[in-house]
Amino acid sequence: MAEAKYSQNGRGQIRVAFVGNPNCGKTTLFNAVTGSKLKVANWPGVTVEKKEGYAQYEDCDLTIVDTPGIYSLTCYTIEEKVTRQCVMDDEIDAIVNVVDASSLERNLYLTLQLLELGKPVVLALNMMDIVEERGMEIDLHRLPEMLGGIPVVSVSAAKRTGLGILLHAVVHHYEEGPAGNILTYGEELEAKIAKLEVMMQARFPLHSSVRWHAIKLLEYDEDVRREHPIDVTNVVDRSYEKDIIQAKYRYIETIVKEVLFHKEKKAAFTDKIDRMLTHPVWGVPIFLLIMCCVFFLTFTVGDFLKAGFEVALSFLSDEASALLTAMRCAPWLISLVVDGIIAGVGGILTFIPNIVILFFALALLEDSGYMSRVAYVMDGIMGKAGLSGKAFLPMVLGFGCTVPAIMATRALETERDRRKTMLITPFMSCSARLPIYVLFSEMFFPSHPSAAAFSMYAIGMIVAIVVALAIHGYEKGKINDSLLIELPEYKRPNGRTIGIYVWTKLKDYLEKAGTTIFIASIIIWFVLNFGIHGMVADPSDSFGAAIGRGLVPLLAPAGLGMWQIAVALISGISAKEVVVSSFAVLFGVVNANSQSGMQTIISHINAQNPGFGAVNAYALMVFCLLYVPCAATIATVRKESGSWRFTAKMAVFQLLLAWAAAVVVYQIGSRLF
Amino acid sequence: MTLYDGRIGADYEVRGVYVEEAVTRRLQALGINDGTTVKILNRKRKGAMIIQVRGTRLALGRHISSCIEVKEEA
Repeated sequence: MAEAKYSQNGRGQIRVAFVGNPNCGKTTLFNAVTGSKLKVANWPGVTVEKKEGYAQYEDCDLTIVDTPGIYSLTCYTIEEKVTRQCVMDDEIDAIVNVVDASSLERNLYLTLQLLELGKPVVLALNMMDIVEERGMEIDLHRLPEMLGGIPVVSVSAAKRTGLGILLHAVVHHYEEGPAGNILTYGEELEAKIAKLEVMMQARFPLHSSVRWHAIKLLEYDEDVRREHPIDVTNVVDRSYEKDIIQAKYRYIETIVKEVLFHKEKKAAFTDKIDRMLTHPVWGVPIFLLIMCCVFFLTFTVGDFLKAGFEVALSFLSDEASALLTAMRCAPWLISLVVDGIIAGVGGILTFIPNIVILFFALALLEDSGYMSRVAYVMDGIMGKAGLSGKAFLPMVLGFGCTVPAIMATRALETERDRRKTMLITPFMSCSARLPIYVLFSEMFFPSHPSAAAFSMYAIGMIVAIVVALAIHGYEKGKINDSLLIELPEYKRPNGRTIGIYVWTKLKDYLEKAGTTIFIASIIIWFVLNFGIHGMVADPSDSFGAAIGRGLVPLLAPAGLGMWQIAVALISGISAKEVVVSSFAVLFGVVNANSQSGMQTIISHINAQNPGFGAVNAYALMVFCLLYVPCAATIATVRKESGSWRFTAKMAVFQLLLAWAAAVVVYQIGSRLF
Repeated sequence: MTLYDGRIGADYEVRGVYVEEAVTRRLQALGINDGTTVKILNRKRKGAMIIQVRGTRLALGRHISSCIEVKEEA
């Protein structure tokens, strides 16, 4: 019997882990239970992020840990290792097993494994509404009986119902202690388990989950064998893993037979949609069409909405300037605030509508269940490049932001595939590059701005796939056709989940504007307004101009031979939006993303370089698309690959590729047009 | 026959799984064991397929589906 730990103020404290299959609504439930008390923590020593949050129930403080979704407690993937390590940890007092009730049979497999751990387990039955919609029924009385009397609570993560009952069950079941053993493996195996249990207890008397470890020894589990070096060869003559898995599934079949009624009356909805979306011929065109729609919405609707932001920004700029003048501030301070900070940061903020729409669309695709279909649809093309269709998922995420996309490569099976995917993911044009396209396509392609911007996304995708194909050809690798991914049921996207997703991304964007871009803008302002003789009146005498001029000969073959462009591109490494900020600061434009701002930039560029036209602008966009990713991405690649060598090679490769592509665009383009 | 040779809409009983060890374990954890019934929902002519097993859908690459021995169910 376990006793609640009491803190100094007399309140019980329980650490609860949320564990479940991928796509069972675990994170939605986690968000619903912990509400606003969410704290995202990077755990030390592990590579995959786990989230921690807090909830209260009566006189108990619950710390809730959200773990990566897993199918079983083996240790074949990073996610499994992390989750297993987390639930085995003595710090975890109780487990909430989140179960997708609409695929009970598969989900119960993990449940049976969790029960063997000997920790208190509470079953949270999620997605009961889908069960009802399908005309199925689950016997909520018989199910707990078959699982050894553990509490079974039906919850709806999306509608936020059953949450109080769930916490109540956790607190009380924790006080009661774990349920007994429910599944026996037949005489032969049980005899072996009993022997192993005795051996385990002799060597590790303080061990909490003896039976689970005994079973794992019988399964030849590598980690358990390494951590418990007992000689068991006389008991374990071979791996009994298959027998144990089959015994579990046999038991699950009896459970399902007893508790689930009217099976599969109408699971047809998902299948009907899938016949179109995963069609052998139309699957790829439909995916491309969907992405077209996403970007179309991002550009056109986003541009439509940004007018309001522009008005607000010019108002702010005028007011700030007037206020600072009235306060008799030094001209350099006024210049810093108005030409440096407001121009650099404010200009970036006018792109918020575009960013929000882009992330909203990506969230819809993720939450509806379409993303894993993309892996299936693109599997053939990716397979030829030696990658599984799964590698395409991080790439799609890369349209949003490259940093989480690089982290998402963890889902790939081998290190080799991961590195290859990390190398090509930055070519998928992220939202930070969007302001550059919007600005330059509207300035230089006034009749077809959306088409010019959209072509960047297409070029990025093509370059990514061509590079993967080239590496694959160079390595003479085999076709990869080992796709294995679950396709979840389609569901109505949950407003709250999408809201949280978009809000976190927007917050990241604002934070970036407030930190990286803010600092970068100040530095750019300084570099452009100061020279060796102090503050300069003409930027071409500044430090920035001196640095930029050094690079002009290199950029000239790409039609980008202007020191201003060199400065903008260098500063863009801090964050890609800064390319736009730099142009604003360079040419003293308060809002680059407005008609007058664009006119000023164009006239400045033309004053410097009368020949600068659409072809030069396109070469610049291509260069921005492909060149070294932002500092945050470089840091993430370093962390995820664990190698500076790889990271440096990647950056150099991308820089050379960007330069070569821009030169080709300019040289061919300027001869044609 | 192997699952790869199967056709859309038909049910098959798994007779054996002969992929790399790690993948076999994964498939077993997902419920693909000897005796399990799987149904082919959709497939590309020479490539991946979507199957239904134990009430869920999985996409399997050609390499995996051609390593699963099956028997067509009547």
